[in-house]
Amino acid sequence: MAKPRNTFCGRTRREFLWQSGACFPALGMLDLLGRDGLLPAASGERPMAPRKPHHAPKARAVIFLFMYGGPSHVDTFDYKPKLYPLDGKTIDIDTKGRGGTKKQGRVVGPKWNFRQHGQCGKWVSDLFPHVGRCVDDLAFVHSMYADSPLHGSAMLMMNSGRILSGAPCLGSWATYALGSENENLPGFVVMLDRTGGPISGAKNWSSGFMPALYQGTVLRSQGEPILDLALPEGMTLAEQRRLLDALHAQNAAHLAERADDTDLAARMESYELAARMQVHAPEAIELANESAATRGLYGLDDPRTEDFGRKCLLARRLVERGVRFVQVYSGGNHNDANWDAHGDLVFNHEKHAGATDRPIAGLLADLKQRGLLESTIVVWGGEFGRQPTAEYAEGTGRDHNSAGFTMWLAGGGIPGGVSVGTTDELGNRAVERPFHVKNLHATILHQLGMDPNRLSFFFNGLDQKLVGPEGAQPIHELI
Amino acid sequence: MAHSLSLLAAVGLTVAIAAQEPTDWWAWRPLQRPAVPAVADAGWAANDLDRFVLAGLEAAGLQPSASADKRTLLRRATLDLTGLLPTGAETEAFLADTAPDAFDKVIERLLASPQYGVKWARHWLDVVRFAETDGYERDRQKPFIWRYRDWVVDAFNGDLPWGRFLHAQLAGDELPAPTVGDLVATGYYRLGIWDDEPTDPEQARYDDLDGIADTTARAMLGISMGCARCHDHKRDPIPTRDYYSFLSFFENIRPTDHQAKAVPADGAVERHANEVSAFATARQQIVARLRGAAANAWGQLSAARRVSIGAQADAGVVARYTADRDNPKTLHDTIGERHGAVHGQVVSVAGKSGLAMRFDGDDRVELPRLVEGSFTVSFQVRSDHRGRGHAGDTRWFSGDGLVDGEVSGAVADWGVAWHSDGRVVAGTGDPETFLASPPGFHDGRWHHVAFTRDQSTGRIALYVDGEPMGEAEGGKQLLSAPPKLVLGGLQPGGHGFRGDLDEVAFHDRALSADEVAALALELPGGVHAPAVLGAAPADADGRSALSAFGDLRALKRPRLDTVQILAVAEQGREAPDGFVRVRGNVHAKGPQVAPGFPAILRPPAPQIEAVRPGLQSSGRRTALAKWITAPDNPLTWRVLANRLWQHHFGRGLVRSSNDFGKLGDQPTHPELLDWLAVELLQRGQSLKSMHRLILSSKAWQMASSPVPAAAAIDPRNDRFWRFDRRRMTAEELRDAILQVDGSLSLQLGGPSVFPPLPAEVLATSSRPEDAWGHSTPEQAARRSLYVHVKRSLQEPVLAVFDQADTDNSCPVRFATVQPTQALILMNGDFAQARARAFAERLLREAPDLPARIRLGLRLCWQREATAEEVARYETLVTGLREFGRDEAAALQRCCLIWINTNEFAFVD
Repeated sequence: MAKPRNTFCGRTRREFLWQSGACFPALGMLDLLGRDGLLPAASGERPMAPRKPHHAPKARAVIFLFMYGGPSHVDTFDYKPKLYPLDGKTIDIDTKGRGGTKKQGRVVGPKWNFRQHGQCGKWVSDLFPHVGRCVDDLAFVHSMYADSPLHGSAMLMMNSGRILSGAPCLGSWATYALGSENENLPGFVVMLDRTGGPISGAKNWSSGFMPALYQGTVLRSQGEPILDLALPEGMTLAEQRRLLDALHAQNAAHLAERADDTDLAARMESYELAARMQVHAPEAIELANESAATRGLYGLDDPRTEDFGRKCLLARRLVERGVRFVQVYSGGNHNDANWDAHGDLVFNHEKHAGATDRPIAGLLADLKQRGLLESTIVVWGGEFGRQPTAEYAEGTGRDHNSAGFTMWLAGGGIPGGVSVGTTDELGNRAVERPFHVKNLHATILHQLGMDPNRLSFFFNGLDQKLVGPEGAQPIHELI
Repeated sequence: MAHSLSLLAAVGLTVAIAAQEPTDWWAWRPLQRPAVPAVADAGWAANDLDRFVLAGLEAAGLQPSASADKRTLLRRATLDLTGLLPTGAETEAFLADTAPDAFDKVIERLLASPQYGVKWARHWLDVVRFAETDGYERDRQKPFIWRYRDWVVDAFNGDLPWGRFLHAQLAGDELPAPTVGDLVATGYYRLGIWDDEPTDPEQARYDDLDGIADTTARAMLGISMGCARCHDHKRDPIPTRDYYSFLSFFENIRPTDHQAKAVPADGAVERHANEVSAFATARQQIVARLRGAAANAWGQLSAARRVSIGAQADAGVVARYTADRDNPKTLHDTIGERHGAVHGQVVSVAGKSGLAMRFDGDDRVELPRLVEGSFTVSFQVRSDHRGRGHAGDTRWFSGDGLVDGEVSGAVADWGVAWHSDGRVVAGTGDPETFLASPPGFHDGRWHHVAFTRDQSTGRIALYVDGEPMGEAEGGKQLLSAPPKLVLGGLQPGGHGFRGDLDEVAFHDRALSADEVAALALELPGGVHAPAVLGAAPADADGRSALSAFGDLRALKRPRLDTVQILAVAEQGREAPDGFVRVRGNVHAKGPQVAPGFPAILRPPAPQIEAVRPGLQSSGRRTALAKWITAPDNPLTWRVLANRLWQHHFGRGLVRSSNDFGKLGDQPTHPELLDWLAVELLQRGQSLKSMHRLILSSKAWQMASSPVPAAAAIDPRNDRFWRFDRRRMTAEELRDAILQVDGSLSLQLGGPSVFPPLPAEVLATSSRPEDAWGHSTPEQAARRSLYVHVKRSLQEPVLAVFDQADTDNSCPVRFATVQPTQALILMNGDFAQARARAFAERLLREAPDLPARIRLGLRLCWQREATAEEVARYETLVTGLREFGRDEAAALQRCCLIWINTNEFAFVD
């Protein structure tokens, strides 16, 4: 283990670069240089190149369907028959949410009926009839809990494992660990709701203390997909090529007297990669070649589901093209623009479930029929769930609940038709086999072939891990 | 080492640690000046610094590179010290100056430029994680925190000795006579992330304190302490107990409320006292004249006239309460039936005339809603309480209610309150419009207060003792929200008044300033006095009274010149007991701890002394500041010397410039580091002196050209056989682009600016419509230091070129190369707009195409273009005709290429 610290040979090229900071800027391009023969192969590991995992992976990509705002588990996938007859009754119950800590509450009975689906006979509410048909591919974790019942910190926790701002997100860890399989596209892609980002905006896809190379790239489902990808108005690729050639000639002359500087060469190459991105990224979001059947599968024929459906279809196309981590937000902005149903539960959840049910089922079916589901983990859930009781004296709105909620996963080697853990009979707290958000993260990393307790990044005097210094085990039943 | 990836992950574990006693670690040893080494090539060295570098090179069998040429040196030095490119004139002057001290003069010029502070402040701001918002859900602005940034710039420009610089940030407020700058410096404590809605407030408070303790340890001492929060540090012998002892220096800090406070500007208190005294004399004279003239004029009126005026006295009065009560539960309306209902124990005391009402903080009198359109409310008030609320706040509903028509959640309301430091504040809702008097009316004497509101204009005005305290334009709607008015308190939920009220009257119109003055001064004729006197026989007394009204109106009370700042404050003179928190869990208290410095440094015990009388502060931070800035602190000076080296040479002598512990890197030149640290102390802790020393060394002036033989021996340039080429920082690059197109503004200081952001970037915010501000194009072209730093929304050009992440202390910036950088500089709005402006400048300033090309390249590269280069771009311009580009349009595309070249973006 012990190696001298101040020698280059003791470390990989990548570590060396990060440690060295400002004097060695060539991060992103070393791989390309290696490929193009600009760098001798021996001199460097390629930072965004695909890399070998710790163990044989079950999955190579992740699609995280983020139901921002916190969907109610007792109205969706966590069937609580005892809750219906209690509707309107005030009971003793310990809750903690936006409205603070309470000892009593008025029960809001589930507003939808549940019915059994699939071979496994899973109870699913009528909010998700299409997803209901996929239950034999889904693994439900009903006993999730998180450290905060408030959006700001809870969002950070679900995305980065900590309630404190400043840590890299799950997608950053995945690309840091495994690189990307398509360098013409970003490795970690985020698609936001059309109403806006979630609260804390870019902090939810930040690479924190890691280089910006690993932060999420926001991809728009229509128009110019990536910031500044489109050519300036009036410019053609041919004209741009002329400019890039002139730039290259100038830089090549400059390089001639500085031939040993790989950073200069890397930066030259980055312009070529950018040019290729200009072609590949629009192709990746171009849906013209998708059949009517496929488009229908995702609900692109219905204005209600068209937007989220398009993003789900894009997620499949991106994964197909080697993107490592795709996060799709359902809900943005504030109040009822996302799943945060404080006022009218029925209005809110009908709206968001209505917009996502068919697209999600379509995504699962499409991944499956293309053989992609085997290697792609699909994750569904929000930053927390909701309480069995009402937030206010009147109305059906529920407050936040981080003490017990449901997430489900599919694909990537995760067995289907499985349900793990339970909440109490009112769905208030995780009681049997409780799992922290870190266990969810550990499960995802494990399926990607990484040991969550070994994958680390040295920062601030610590080997920082997604699962924290204490570590966390994957959810055994899912791996 | 079984696996390639764990190699990646295990930087911290690949450390070879010599078996050393804890206090034997190089960084913790006392600082001593090492002997300057002997070198073989004694003629090469320009100073002792060079001898240390050369000795290392000679020992490794390396030769120093030749000096860089003058153009390269000038570009390097200018970017290094000011973050700017040299101008054409500066380049020509330096090239023409053949004197031996030509470069010394350049260094002096650059150090004298205020742009030096703009560049070097950025280094410190990275380390202390400067940002202007809190992060989290609301990501609120930290008010006036830009003053901290300006203070840092000024400190660098003024070459503030480093110890003083650190002391002001740590404990400027506890100094015997702090300046505004000393208080602003303590904004240091307010820079971090802050969750305004924490799930566990106690834990969140300790997270905030951890951010402070950890940043202080890293930034000032190069100690990585954070891990000891949960467990004893695995490598450095920092036990958890030491962490909490260190933390307790900060434990008395009042949790932030993120309210700015107004403090008197430097010297303002004395100035103000003189002005107020002159004002009081002048006012007394006018009032005496007015009283005399009014009494005379009144005396000349016929008896019948006086009687008719008396009869008019109550005309326009909606209700009047003299407070001469006989029923403890009722406040009698002396002109009508709008009696008040007393809640609580309002007792009667001797009043301004007759009896007055005494409120003790939880009493109030409820009145019907007497007014809602235009009105005046006037009363006499007396109190020796300061009033609630913050000094910077002028919202009446955050003070103690005097007369209140506020309804929580409603907007069409109004009120008058007794506020912090004996101020009277008043205002109306929708839009919220507030007025405030100066402080100091809590003197136990009667004061006459009047608040007027005219519905047709929305104008409101506040008077104390007949003197205008300010006026403003508010909304014009009916203020009909309150069903009831309250005297002596705010509507339920707000604060009650402690003091006396008397002579409360409501008029159904906004009285004029003269009418209010007549009321307050109790002139004969009361509110009608001005009209009566105006209509009085045009004799000398009548006119004199009227002119005295005018003089009174014209006399303005001097304002205390204040500055709004965000600073630190403690909770009292006694700090709470501190405890170890077991495994970092704040709810699990372990053994008690006292403030103490890390034992690894064998420090003295902290000397905590009482701070100046009256200041609610424990003195703990002063004790910390004294120890950190003591000349015998082994770390402070090494850490600073290393940072100076880092920002001149591209990397520190210790590469991990925030961590001098065993998980950090060891110095490549330990003796040189110690020598620099001692030198720094001996030069009066002057950074500018150190810049001179470093920039005049041969080591710093070496060329960056390749030397294959040297690279074979020392590929990482550990021994400094050449100068390491570097890419410009994000700020340098953005500023340089603005500079070459001629639009960069060198304005210093003030609130941050908001360059336009693409809609796509705004759309990532949860409130895209108010995520960012707006600045004029001139302001948007300010230097990058002045671009607003918002935690959840970064300016994309700066972000993509590796601006520091602001959630953690950033000692060394990443310098990545990514295709998104190419996209933003080729296609982005900023690059396009700048290229257009650049081309326009060239069209303006040079006569023909070859001259324009030469000028453009000279601006970018500080060298003459070769004939081949000029020809290349002439050919390009011609070739672009194919795409329908005329010369101007083609030149714009050339400009775009030039700002993308490596020669532009890199510093040789």
